[in-house]
Amino acid sequence: MTLKNFAVTFVLGSMALVTVGATSMRAQSHVNSPDPALGAPSVDSTESHIGGLTGHAADGKKLYRRFCIGCHGPDGNGQGMNAQWIDPKPRDFTEATFKCRSTPTGTLPTDDDLYNAITRGFVTTNMPAWRPLTPQERANLVAFVKTWSPRWAKEKPGTPLTIPAETPITIESILHGRQIFQKLECWKCHGPQGHGDGPSADTLTDSKNNPIRPYDFSSGSRFMCGVTNQDLYRIFMTGLDGSPMPSFADVVKPEEAWDLVHFLRTLQPLKTQEADLWQTYRAAHGADIKPIGPDAAPGGK
Amino acid sequence: MRTKYFLALTIAVLLGSGMLVFANPPAGSGSISGKITYTGTPPKMKPIDMSKEPSCAKQHATPVMTENVDTGPGNALAWVVVYISAGDQGSSAPSQAVRYDQKGCQYIPHVLPMQVSQQLQIYNDDQTSHNIHPLAKVNSEWNKSQPPGSPPIDTKYDKAEFIPVKCNIHPWMHGYFVVLNTSHYAVSGDDGSFSIKGLPAGKYTVTAWQEQYGQQTQDVTISGSETKTANFTFKVLPY
Amino acid sequence: MSKWFANGADRARKSWVRPFVTCALLMLAIVIGDCRAVSALPTGKVMAIPAFARKYGLPCSACHTAWPELNNFGLVFRDNGYQLMNDRDSPIWQNPSYFPITFRITPQWHRESTSNQPVDSIPGGGSGSTLVSRNVTQAGFDLSGMDLWSAGTLYKNISFQLLPSSDSFAVWHFESAWVRFDNIKGSSWLNFKFGRFELDNLISEKRFLFLSANGGLYQTYHFDVPGSVNDFGIGDNQIGMELAGHNADSSMRYSIALLSSNEGGTGLTESNLPMGLPSNRGYDGYMAFTKSFNAGSWGYEQFQAYAYIGQRGTYFQTTSGTPLVALGNEPFYRVGFAGQLHFKNLELLPYFMHGHDSAYLGTGLPDTAGLPAGAKAPTFNGGFIEGQYFVNPQLVFFGRFEKIGVTQQAFVNEGANLPSNYGDVTAYSVGYRYYPIMFSRAGLAWHNEYSISKSVGIVPLSGDGTGLPPLPLPNSQNVWSSSVFIGFDFDF
Repeated sequence: MTLKNFAVTFVLGSMALVTVGATSMRAQSHVNSPDPALGAPSVDSTESHIGGLTGHAADGKKLYRRFCIGCHGPDGNGQGMNAQWIDPKPRDFTEATFKCRSTPTGTLPTDDDLYNAITRGFVTTNMPAWRPLTPQERANLVAFVKTWSPRWAKEKPGTPLTIPAETPITIESILHGRQIFQKLECWKCHGPQGHGDGPSADTLTDSKNNPIRPYDFSSGSRFMCGVTNQDLYRIFMTGLDGSPMPSFADVVKPEEAWDLVHFLRTLQPLKTQEADLWQTYRAAHGADIKPIGPDAAPGGK
Repeated sequence: MRTKYFLALTIAVLLGSGMLVFANPPAGSGSISGKITYTGTPPKMKPIDMSKEPSCAKQHATPVMTENVDTGPGNALAWVVVYISAGDQGSSAPSQAVRYDQKGCQYIPHVLPMQVSQQLQIYNDDQTSHNIHPLAKVNSEWNKSQPPGSPPIDTKYDKAEFIPVKCNIHPWMHGYFVVLNTSHYAVSGDDGSFSIKGLPAGKYTVTAWQEQYGQQTQDVTISGSETKTANFTFKVLPY
Repeated sequence: MSKWFANGADRARKSWVRPFVTCALLMLAIVIGDCRAVSALPTGKVMAIPAFARKYGLPCSACHTAWPELNNFGLVFRDNGYQLMNDRDSPIWQNPSYFPITFRITPQWHRESTSNQPVDSIPGGGSGSTLVSRNVTQAGFDLSGMDLWSAGTLYKNISFQLLPSSDSFAVWHFESAWVRFDNIKGSSWLNFKFGRFELDNLISEKRFLFLSANGGLYQTYHFDVPGSVNDFGIGDNQIGMELAGHNADSSMRYSIALLSSNEGGTGLTESNLPMGLPSNRGYDGYMAFTKSFNAGSWGYEQFQAYAYIGQRGTYFQTTSGTPLVALGNEPFYRVGFAGQLHFKNLELLPYFMHGHDSAYLGTGLPDTAGLPAGAKAPTFNGGFIEGQYFVNPQLVFFGRFEKIGVTQQAFVNEGANLPSNYGDVTAYSVGYRYYPIMFSRAGLAWHNEYSISKSVGIVPLSGDGTGLPPLPLPNSQNVWSSSVFIGFDFDF
């Protein structure tokens, strides 16, 4: 029993000593609270609202330290310790510029947009799909992300885009979409077959002057901001802020936008209704199709 | 009868001039002018290769040069924005819009100063699509496509900022929106000269901004309707 | 100083000064001491691989509550076949200098003390010496296991793991070695693994936070009723194949495995060591089903039900007495449940197991002979409750209470002079880990642990295999074995 008492006292004593030492040491990385003097929203009061969930930034702060800090950094500016080896670079939350939104270019995204971005992750990047976190945890993280930029304190998110019902998938829709692709000169970056090899593709840089490639439709990879036709519609109508991809909301009518969506699907090596229709049409009228590119007359078929 | 008429006239004149006084702030008659020059060897401007955009390339008999350090005779520096950073800020934004053109795959003017909340209209005069992408950090960053034949883009900025503007499709296109609080500003021409007029008497800090070499300030005091000279010299390097 | 230590007696025992001073001296000693030699953990426990953090640029804390223990995000990553499913998982996307390999070593100071050990009354034995019950204590600096762990993807949706492991005497074996075909037919419900692997235990012994000789294993995961020829432990890596699946966030998971009935032995023998006894051409089956419930800001609450049904041979076909193959297979099973409950920073891990061996396995007789009268199937119930408290991602306190009770003794032990609770185990463990650095390049933990286990009439299982069975009754009593462990856990 002497032995046991000694052992217990010994271990508890050493634990106490080391804990005192440990907690007085600075943690290897700590999350700096956003500075209220700069007008950023307070960590204690910022909330997010996604469906029936209310997220709280104070709870999100602990989660940020566990999951996000390595890339997005202790100051929320994308300068985490791993950022130097990552391409594309992690999002800088202090600028409140986000790629995947349902709101017009230059406006803040909705809480749902941020929640979806966290849940879905971004393919071909280092941002994982955080679906294994509970919905409440993700909502808490959304609330905390909003505390990094003073814009959230002053501005409201933009008005989400109204997406009309999808028009039927027909060959006429696809052909009209092809005209739009030619006219709007999407091929200048995305290339005539959507391979991401257009004449301007090599020189593209994002808003922080890092090189960036346009989406390559022939990879069949999921889009940055989703997988469905709705997601694709939203991508070119709202643009991907912070990247070279502009918003086409002012130059494409909503009904016409669906035609462009249907055409873009034919550029992907996926089994879709659009691809089938296009294959059938090409088999019958292959010779008539003028290639996309600078030689085609504007609006050429 | 005459007295009444005379009284009415006087009142009318007084009221009229009073309205005039309140309609416009006291228009000063002082001005600050000067010349922007450089010392040292400036970088050589390079010809821009527009072969990727034939519709623009053929608009220029000789290739256009880059404009980040635009020099003129007598060591002059062009495209330097000179503005009052302290002192009377002048009037708020006029109702007149400023205009920005994309022509021949260039931004005309290269540097466009404007006031906070002043209307800005952006035109695409070319046969090719441009995307207009002002890289604002204090204001919102947005990015819009503007195919040929589209209407001008109407927008404005709410905060003062120096905003680089680029077109992602045509990577050689560089310009600036200089959003200022003050209505007292000018841009130096090819000869490096500038003139800011309509300044009431008072103490001023004048700032000159060049996109590559940053800002310089000078303090100037205006009394009455004199013209004070403020010259700025930027030290330039060949790279 | 040493005199003060030796003569401290009652006064110093109760004083806190001595432990503090000892601790400070030890800390100094460990830092000065040579930590570069490499030795072995008795059981491989590498399961935290900074190479994954390097590959994906995530912090260790993204996948681990406190490495090596996984959180739900890390569990999904592992279920997906070590893939983030971001179209960049295949190794062709990695820098060619990236190599998915990790080392783990733990230089330590430790102290083991076991009570009621049979000891010569005259050291060295000799005439007049008898065996008496005494405490045996050993302490000093030591090096624990070296594991050379490699895991990751061979290609998109083909993952692998290779873990050669050596003990402290540089005897190597393959702790695990498997290939897995992930997301067959594009479905996360179909994943096929082949090789030697850890069973899908919700509470993974390979990924837990304990390292001491007595605390560094779950007694329940290796317990067999004393006297039974069964050597099965659910915590031991088995050899065979597994079909497993999960949904997108791993809130529902299943695993079905078909395994050789030889405790994961290689060379068709009963063990991982050369010259083991031949195995029995039989097959075991394991199934586990896991379900999680979303508890909002607390996290997920996970429950698992499992069952292991196996068989062991009761005699050998021999040539001139040399065993050739084990025969006379008799069945056994282990069933129970496990839980992983999160309450924000507190995690509770309850576990329960009911074990049942065939009566023949408790007789030591071949099953061709008749079952002796009164022979009953040896059974036991065991379980533990473990708690972990995460102050922050870099500091975790943990503790565990474990109890195993034999409900039916093996026939060979039915009889006089053995207590009715012969073989029962009670174990406690407490400790903490502090991670002073937590880069994505390497990990370091400062580990302190105290564990104590008690067995009735037998020596408790311990990671370093020390301890002798106590003397028979009336001299035999409960055997207590305690461990104190202080060490640096390096993971590269």
